[in-house]
Amino acid sequence: MAQDELIVVKDLNKSFGKLHVLKDVNTTIRKGEVVAVIGPSGSGKSTFLRCLNLLEVPTGGHVFFEGVDICDKKTNIDLHRQKIGMVFQQFNLFNNMTVLQNITAAPVKIRKMDPKAAEEKALQLLDRVGLADKAGSYPAQLSGGQKQRVAIVRALAMEPDVMLFDEPTSALDPEMVGEVLQVMKDLAAEGMTMVVVTHEMSFAREVSSRVIFMADGQIREDRPARDLFADPHDDRLKDFLSKVLNL
Amino acid sequence: MNPIEGLLYFLDRMVRIATKYSSFFGQGVMNTLIIAFFAVLLGTILGTLLAVMKMGKLKPTRWFATAYIEFIRGTPLMIQLMFIFYGLPMAGITFPTVSFIPNFDRFAAGIFAMSINSAAYVAEIVRSGIQAVDKGQTEAARSLGFKQSQTLMMVVLPQAIKNILPALGNEFVTVIKESSIVSIIGIADLMYQTSGVMSVTYIQLETLAVAAIIYFIMTFFTSRLIAFAERKMANGTR
Repeated sequence: MAQDELIVVKDLNKSFGKLHVLKDVNTTIRKGEVVAVIGPSGSGKSTFLRCLNLLEVPTGGHVFFEGVDICDKKTNIDLHRQKIGMVFQQFNLFNNMTVLQNITAAPVKIRKMDPKAAEEKALQLLDRVGLADKAGSYPAQLSGGQKQRVAIVRALAMEPDVMLFDEPTSALDPEMVGEVLQVMKDLAAEGMTMVVVTHEMSFAREVSSRVIFMADGQIREDRPARDLFADPHDDRLKDFLSKVLNL
Repeated sequence: MNPIEGLLYFLDRMVRIATKYSSFFGQGVMNTLIIAFFAVLLGTILGTLLAVMKMGKLKPTRWFATAYIEFIRGTPLMIQLMFIFYGLPMAGITFPTVSFIPNFDRFAAGIFAMSINSAAYVAEIVRSGIQAVDKGQTEAARSLGFKQSQTLMMVVLPQAIKNILPALGNEFVTVIKESSIVSIIGIADLMYQTSGVMSVTYIQLETLAVAAIIYFIMTFFTSRLIAFAERKMANGTR
């Protein structure tokens, strides 16, 4: 396995009962790549993403993370999840904790980091996304955009090797989409490996290095962002792009 | 005697009974509170355990928890109490006696019966409270690398408690009232003492009215106390 291969997906299949959601998905995420996953709703994008950290357990195939088959029942998935940050559409900040506690909980409880040091680092990260003054607030007191920025910081506090984003701006009011995308752009510029399920075509086109187009549970096209948007091959992709770009 | 005079006469006898036998009633209140307190405490622990079993992945424990809950909720507490106090010793399981606590074995049986009964109701309260916590909370915790047990302790239960507490308060109130049943196995709770006063004075309704008021005071203050705790917990987070 090549050095820079971070996640290797092999013949991934997932069914919910009779519903076959993912059909023989194969792809590789390399270090430093920003991969956008696009496609019509119901195409299996989110399920694909959730299989990468086993929030959804695949019904067939393998996912290798840093060379380890995380689908193997003997693999301690909790250890690997520490290295895979995830950001959700619905933010999912812990409602019973302050912003600061949300961020420090995992480093302190799992990494056994010194609480003081964890707090300092959390405040630094919060400052970077412009939310240092919200450290003592509860999630219910924040706007959607603020919540999502905190959620990104919470994942970053574990110093992950890759960040998964599951439609991070879909639940936001339009005026808040920009602030979240900016944080993601900064992150990409720093070289973070990212897999982003998104409906933001501008983000996919401008920020991502590669775009995966999914339809009906299959990867229909998997190419560098520029090529894919300039010259789509697949008919479904052409149809999809004509719908989302010509609004 | 017109109705107003009758009412005043009734109230006057109530006051006289309440004052004359105040230490009698007081003893009963103490015992009722002791039984209710331990029944709710043990019932909550057992009930939480049952709820976890019912939501768990293991089929046998899940089946056991479901059967237990259905059976206990579907049979009268009085029969459960009888089986525990009279039936268990017949099967060779006796409740221990403690020399410096009179009637310890009776109390143990009463509390045990109340607990296993309350546990069935608490289990359903806890289960629905936990299941009402958004699944995204669990997913977020697991995605950070928290173990299932850590997720439960740090994220899910603290939020579930806010859903659980009001219903658990109701259960506490119910247990205080239902605990009157333990008088049939000779525990000197409020109901038992009330019967005692009735048999000494031959005054029935007035004595029962005094007992009813005392029960009401106990349940009323319990529900106020729980409402207060709820407000405290709601501070800040929502």
